[in-house]
Amino acid sequence: MAGKSGRTISAVPQKSFMKTILSWEGILLVLFIGINIFCKCISPVYNFTNVLREMPKYLTEIFLLFPMAYILLMGEIDISVGSTVCLSATVACLVSNAGLPFGIVLLAGLATGTVCGMINGFLAVKFRELPTMIITLGTQIVFRGIAEIALGDGGSVSLVNADGFRMIAGKVGPFPYLFFVVIICAVIFTVIAEKRVYGRSLYAIGSNSRTAFYSGIKVNKVLFTAYAVLGFLAGVSALFLISATYGANTTTGKGFEMDAIAMAVFGGISTAGGKGKLTGAVIAAFTIVCLRVGLGQINMNAQVILIILGLLLICSVLLPNISSALHKTRKKA
Amino acid sequence: MEKKSLWKKITGSREASLVIVLIVLCALISVKSPAFLSMQNILEILKNNAVIMIMSLGMLCVLLVGGIDISITSTLALAGMSIGMMYKYSVIESTLLGFVIAAAMGAVCGLVIGLVISWGRVLPIIATMGFMYIYRGLAYLVAQDQWAGADALGTFKDFALSNSLGLGLINNVIVITILCYVIFYIVLKWTKFGRNIYAVGSNEEAARISGINVTAVKTAVYTIMGLLAGISGALATSVYASAQPNMQTSKEMDVIAACVIGGVSMNGGRGSVLGALLGALVLSVIAKALPLVGIDAIAQNTVKGVIIVAVIILNVLTQRMMDKTNLEKREM
Repeated sequence: MAGKSGRTISAVPQKSFMKTILSWEGILLVLFIGINIFCKCISPVYNFTNVLREMPKYLTEIFLLFPMAYILLMGEIDISVGSTVCLSATVACLVSNAGLPFGIVLLAGLATGTVCGMINGFLAVKFRELPTMIITLGTQIVFRGIAEIALGDGGSVSLVNADGFRMIAGKVGPFPYLFFVVIICAVIFTVIAEKRVYGRSLYAIGSNSRTAFYSGIKVNKVLFTAYAVLGFLAGVSALFLISATYGANTTTGKGFEMDAIAMAVFGGISTAGGKGKLTGAVIAAFTIVCLRVGLGQINMNAQVILIILGLLLICSVLLPNISSALHKTRKKA
Repeated sequence: MEKKSLWKKITGSREASLVIVLIVLCALISVKSPAFLSMQNILEILKNNAVIMIMSLGMLCVLLVGGIDISITSTLALAGMSIGMMYKYSVIESTLLGFVIAAAMGAVCGLVIGLVISWGRVLPIIATMGFMYIYRGLAYLVAQDQWAGADALGTFKDFALSNSLGLGLINNVIVITILCYVIFYIVLKWTKFGRNIYAVGSNEEAARISGINVTAVKTAVYTIMGLLAGISGALATSVYASAQPNMQTSKEMDVIAACVIGGVSMNGGRGSVLGALLGALVLSVIAKALPLVGIDAIAQNTVKGVIIVAVIILNVLTQRMMDKTNLEKREM
């Protein structure tokens, strides 16, 4: 169809094969395959079953990635989610040790997480002029502080009766339940971000919050929901974490927020908001997990892995910037 | 221009209200425990929080240009750990050389971050998150599963114990802290560079158009932050008489909190050296006072967090009120 200016606008986006490969998601996919080949080369025990066996350790973080990606898409941030995981895990453990039925234990863990998320959301909505970085910096200290009080002098709690949690940690063949839950979450969150009104309003708010507001998007409602969902999934993450560790302590979930943000950014989601895709974030997350498992198998120092992750993170943002800058100067010349 | 009433002056100025908060806090605590306001105790508080106070200055500059740096404690650990190992293996002996090396390492670390942020156009939070991992990892690599204890540090740890720089009255660490504050107060208030920092933070585009080299200012700010983190690394090694790769982990949040309590805006352009000082002081007084007034050590983090949240919310509410009164007063 010819537009007013004489341009032809096709209703279906035409994407060439090369363009698909050269998009960030395409590059990530190639990288994912490359890293798997690399790990296979350096470690003789790197295979599908072994990766799946070691995965649950990292999968609990991937949960947080999806809602975190939503929040980053809006140009906001949440650095309190690690503390939320800690508090939820603590509450769930204490409730379980009090002898209450497993259903209530689950409910307690999820409710704690959701309430924490709602508190963040409430503060973010009520005080829009405050950067969410600062709000969640405060709540980060408070949530972990409450967990510290609840845990008492010992600073840790272990499950007396772990039957219920053992059930969660079960497997179907080589796949832990957790794996399916993460995949289902990934699909749901991606579809919502790409196809539903809620997802598109995330992008609108991230591009320009004010314009979004004037075009009738209930910015506060969207923001609040995202934080509440992040809290809820932090609760889910906490429950799965307990099923792997049978307890909680004051350092539970420390650094989860940074890992989740790093995965999202590596996946091409801009923390400035409005840019990036969930599919990229999911591929990035699994790339990082595979790299960690592979390097861990050859007994590489955990600190060296940290350095590699840090370099990956910075390069993933730096390289596209440099290439686009070069592109611009070439165009000028 | 009409004269402002005293009340308006106090409620209108962030620093004045913080001073009042500080005085009230100290008064309340000294009622409960008279030993609190003794000279010795005050000096003790200052010495133990020197690291946070010095890094607050760098963070102030970073926040002023609208950035953030969460890698500072990793830089601190890398610098502190490096000189710790140098003393351990007797590569260097002199105290001054230790400080110079730590400061130089910090400055280089900061310069790299600054270049990535200003030339590479990477968002500050992302760049410094990456370098937080990298520098911390490097600190562990430098340590090689070891640490430098009191006996390994030799004469270096005596620096934090002696009063030689302070004419026998004040501890060396406090002297350095005061020196830093004086320098930053002068630089930020009266030099071209200092005013450029404010200009870039208030409106980057306007600053660029009026001929300020925004890229250079930003790079310089992160370099200064790194320099201060390096000096703090040497100080921390001396004060705690040990260098470990995990030193001061997650204290960067305390530094940011100190700045925010002191009224430094996260959006850039607003904040003062005095504010950063008062913010850091309020935080350290609270940390010291909680056990004195009978609050368990276990509840300290909660109280600290609640205070941070309360202060920033109060800040917003007063700002809103001020905006409203300003709007009402405006002539139509």
